[in-house]
Amino acid sequence: MIVTYSRIQDSTLSLDAMIADSARPDCGALALFAGTVRNHHLLRPVTALNYSAHVAVAERMIREIEAQICAQHAVPVCRVVHRVGRLEIGDVAIYALVRAAHRAEAFAALRAAVDLTKHTVPIWKEEFYADGGSAFVEGCCIGDAADAAPASARRHDHCVAVASTLEEHW
Amino acid sequence: MKIAVQCLGVTGRLAGAAVLELQLPERATVRDALQALGSERIALAEALPRCACARGDSIIYRETPLHDGDELALLPPVAGG
Repeated sequence: MIVTYSRIQDSTLSLDAMIADSARPDCGALALFAGTVRNHHLLRPVTALNYSAHVAVAERMIREIEAQICAQHAVPVCRVVHRVGRLEIGDVAIYALVRAAHRAEAFAALRAAVDLTKHTVPIWKEEFYADGGSAFVEGCCIGDAADAAPASARRHDHCVAVASTLEEHW
Repeated sequence: MKIAVQCLGVTGRLAGAAVLELQLPERATVRDALQALGSERIALAEALPRCACARGDSIIYRETPLHDGDELALLPPVAGG
């Protein structure tokens, strides 16, 4: 039975559902990535995170990323789910799954799927620190966020690699 | 026209509210809305050039016309995963 699930979820993510939903007899590789909450950021102790999202846009974009990855890497299955809400240290924030005939394309597609999701999908992370403070993590500008703004205001250093993909995406 | 602006991520904190109402002239665009927002909420102004905007489930651009009753979402730089 095909299980339909949201790509943005507000409770514990189920890897079992993703695996069950994606089984294929023609695939010899199943590549998985799990992103978990770590207890530090830039040398500052972190106690918890809160993820929030624009759910409608994020749902649509993750499904588009999955389709794009399947087409670009010639893999039959790509799935990404992301958690929102408060997460404690060690909780899973994101699962990505790729099935392919062979491991090489599975690994490459998996990495691309995770990178695109992290850098383009409207999800935000607020960190809570051991000293009682909190802050939103500043990531990547998305789309033609600021079509009139200078490039220096639009892109974060580590986003340059996905910029060309973004421009194709939108 | 009157629109609602949903302030997501850090923009909610900068604006001091999750949702703002904005009065705009007829035929105003997203760019006009952001300029009005920046004038009304100084703390938000600096973040606006780095924000994308969405209506419904679509990203919309600075030149996109707005309509009375629209809900415009501010999407600051993202940091999922």
